[in-house]
Amino acid sequence: MFLLAIFILSILVAIGSFALMKRRREYSIIASAAVMVLTVVYSLIHFASSYSGGYVSISNIALSPSTGIYFSTAVTGFTAWLLILGTVIIFIATLIIRDSKESKTIYSYTLIAGTGLYGILISRDFLFFYIFWEVVLIPVYFMIGQFGGKNKDSASMKFFVYTQFGSLFILLAILTLYNFYSVSHSGLLTFQMSALLNTAFINKIPVLWKDFLIFGFLFGFLVKMPSFPVHSWLPDSYESAPFPGTVILAGGLSVMGGYGLFGILLPVSGIFSTDVLYVLIILGIVSLIYFSLTAMFQQSLKRMLAFASAAAMGFVTIAFGAGILEAGTISASAYASANIYNYTTFYSGILELSGGMFQIVAHGLIMAMLFASLYFITERTGKQTIMNLGGIFREVPVLSSLFLAGLLASLGLPGLAGFIGEFSIFVGSFQAIGWVIFFIIFGMIVTASYHIWAAQKSLFGPYNETLGKIRDINSKEISILMGLLIMIFIIGIVPNLVYVPLVSYIAHLGGIGAL
Amino acid sequence: MNPYAFATSALTSGLVSVLEHYSSVFLLGIVGFIILALGIFRINKKITAGITFAAMAISLPLLYFTTTGPAVSMFGGTIIFNNFGTYFAMVMVISSMFIVFPALQKINLKSEVFYALLLFITVGMIIAAFSYNIITIFIAFESVSIGTYVLASFGKDRRTLEASIKYFFTGTVGTAFIIFGASFFFMATSTFNLVGITHVNSSQAFLIAMAFLIIGFGFKMALFPLHQWALDTYDGTENSVSAFLSSGTKILAFLIILRVFLVGFSSDLQSVYYFFVIIAILTMTYGNIAALSQTNLKRILGYSSIAQAGYLILVVVIVAYSSTSGLGTSVIDFAIAAGMFYSLVYIFMKGGAFITMNVISKEKIELSDISGLAKRSPATAVSFAIILLALAGIPLTGGFMAKYYLFIALISGQLWWLAIIAILNSAISVFYYLRIIQQMFWKEPLEEETFNLTTWTKSPVIISAIIVVALGLLYAMFPVLISTAGGLFG
Repeated sequence: MFLLAIFILSILVAIGSFALMKRRREYSIIASAAVMVLTVVYSLIHFASSYSGGYVSISNIALSPSTGIYFSTAVTGFTAWLLILGTVIIFIATLIIRDSKESKTIYSYTLIAGTGLYGILISRDFLFFYIFWEVVLIPVYFMIGQFGGKNKDSASMKFFVYTQFGSLFILLAILTLYNFYSVSHSGLLTFQMSALLNTAFINKIPVLWKDFLIFGFLFGFLVKMPSFPVHSWLPDSYESAPFPGTVILAGGLSVMGGYGLFGILLPVSGIFSTDVLYVLIILGIVSLIYFSLTAMFQQSLKRMLAFASAAAMGFVTIAFGAGILEAGTISASAYASANIYNYTTFYSGILELSGGMFQIVAHGLIMAMLFASLYFITERTGKQTIMNLGGIFREVPVLSSLFLAGLLASLGLPGLAGFIGEFSIFVGSFQAIGWVIFFIIFGMIVTASYHIWAAQKSLFGPYNETLGKIRDINSKEISILMGLLIMIFIIGIVPNLVYVPLVSYIAHLGGIGAL
Repeated sequence: MNPYAFATSALTSGLVSVLEHYSSVFLLGIVGFIILALGIFRINKKITAGITFAAMAISLPLLYFTTTGPAVSMFGGTIIFNNFGTYFAMVMVISSMFIVFPALQKINLKSEVFYALLLFITVGMIIAAFSYNIITIFIAFESVSIGTYVLASFGKDRRTLEASIKYFFTGTVGTAFIIFGASFFFMATSTFNLVGITHVNSSQAFLIAMAFLIIGFGFKMALFPLHQWALDTYDGTENSVSAFLSSGTKILAFLIILRVFLVGFSSDLQSVYYFFVIIAILTMTYGNIAALSQTNLKRILGYSSIAQAGYLILVVVIVAYSSTSGLGTSVIDFAIAAGMFYSLVYIFMKGGAFITMNVISKEKIELSDISGLAKRSPATAVSFAIILLALAGIPLTGGFMAKYYLFIALISGQLWWLAIIAILNSAISVFYYLRIIQQMFWKEPLEEETFNLTTWTKSPVIISAIIVVALGLLYAMFPVLISTAGGLFG
């Protein structure tokens, strides 16, 4: 119930922010900080040590029982971490809003996006899941359209229509589930995920419909990730969006896509045929390589980071495909008893599955840090292309170091969070896909090279004198970046903090089932 | 039925019962005449509007208390009072109530005629809502149509007159087709009653009747090949009248299409399905695609209203298909309830969108005229954005729930390919709704501003946005609609 209270609080503060006339900045920072702190405290108390898998129900309020609409919510070890990540991202986003007379509404948009994200993660009812799924889009659309940079009209339109198109397929998939449930259970109508997400039930759905359903879900989730063939909204939206919007796009939307895969589809992973899983692995690898190569040729740092973010999410898709493929080979009882200290099961699929979830968390934190520091750089220099910066380490050593730390985390330096996720996926998926792993290595090399190259060109080397005198960041701004860096560092050296609840979550799903 | 039998049945079913069930009709009619009479004394138009609104507001509970309950059939099945009819009657009274105050600003000349007509139209709508006989439906519908021809001509300039004339002529052609279709219907079935047709004399005549009636009612509901008048009329008439024409009368036409084709032609639902599936696909696709290239704001809304009619017509398709393929009543009831819910939301979405045009004090409203509205009046802009998002079917609005139920009905009716077409259509429609939102929110206002931002123009928009959102959260309403949906069949 406590988490529901936090959720209601976040709804109220989001609505309240519209009524506020002045001091919106302070209000939204305090509001998002309150939501964040409460969520973090709750999640750490309940999920850091004493979580043994399964769904911890929060509420189950009947709104219209005869048509099967319940407001039911629950958390797992996985969503608890995503909630922490989501609230941190929203908090960071409110901190890096450029305060001006025009920017009144952007605070409200940020808070609403946060509420939507929260709602997606705790919903255990497909109707509300879908509603919150769409609620996130609208504020981001307004953010890009109202406060965006160049091409904001076309970028916001492209963003909304593209992602909305993906969502509509999710809607169709949900409705298909709903209908077949009612057909096979003599007219019983329900939107409850606990009833609809049942491998045995879905496998009984006629084959054409089942394929359609899987396609609908995967299409909708991959658009949000974004994954290779459905990514074309990404560069324009990231570039045009104001920095808080970019942080929400990079952190929040990929959380949505990742949650879709691991929160919605992993519990019914028995529905996937091996072909679909191979396609997912291939899409993940193509995303990784293609986005890394594209990022290499970007002039704008913001655009480069956008592709870096998408490339990192490629790992998540690989982890999903490879993990299910491999975990299908272990018995259900061994699966259910899986834990992080049990090597035979841990290395049979569980490692990359939990690694994929870990990667979502790590990626969100790293992207928040990178975009926040890029915001501070852009604020000071007015530039965000690699060529126009250059040697700014001489002028702003602290900021540059922090940005460098973010880049290093992003390229997967051991000791930081990015390494753990990528390494687990890398090691884990070797057993599933064999030599194909070399493509991943290639992608990692490219990733490292353009990160280093960007850092070298923009931070070091001769100072670009046209930038003039710029001041370094103040203690407040340092604390924002340091806070993120510390989190990245902590889960980088104590990954079990995240892994243990994730593995409990996976083990409790009770086996992948016969493929 | 001959006049003698009619008269005897009127007496046997009891004059008291007629008076009781029609009390709201009598109330509204009498108030209409009183308002006309008051016109002689040059009473302030605000008072006239107030009386009209009050009469309609009283007629709502009156309708509820006098016509709900077990179905009452009168005059040998000509009129059937049941909960299904009551629901639509109330929806249409609400649609008339909705424009009473927004119209106040623009109606300067002979306001009492405007309001009296509105009341008479409402009377016609209520009668039509309970009619199960082609002739009574036709007469009630004509009384509505004739009233709206006059309403459409209220206004200042020649454009409204042109719009009204266009509306009148096409409307008359539609009427002719209806009459022609009705006579073929009689030829084929030997009755004008819709319920309980057991024997069809001539299947050719039956098909001709169906085709003619589709053309006739297609004109009235502005379905695809017969929609052209609607654009000029919505564009040319006064905003509140466009709101009424595109919501109230459209819902009435929808109700009658449901009734005539699903009840009257129940022995040949296969043909109904084929006719309407083609019309529905063409109507929604055409409406959405044509709206993309428009720059005239009222025409965009006009095209969107054509597309929405296409969605509504899907209900006929689902019911016809499920009945012929034997899918059972639960699917049918769900589909009809989806249509009922859509109708209610539609009034506030479409009516609200047209009424928003009142904030622009121009006759011909271009898309650029609304630019910068968010800077001048954020509340209005946000409300209009909510209404547009509802039309596009974005969650947290009634428009989403309406589409959601409709899509569920499509999928449970096993018409998944049609569901995909409908969903692609609603994805296309997002484009032009977003164009309007972009203009409002992130374009600077024009040099010479044309906004007319008063309480009278702003509050209807805000209220309809609130209602649209509230309907999206009213989950408990739908099961009630499902339980009344069976009333369509008498």
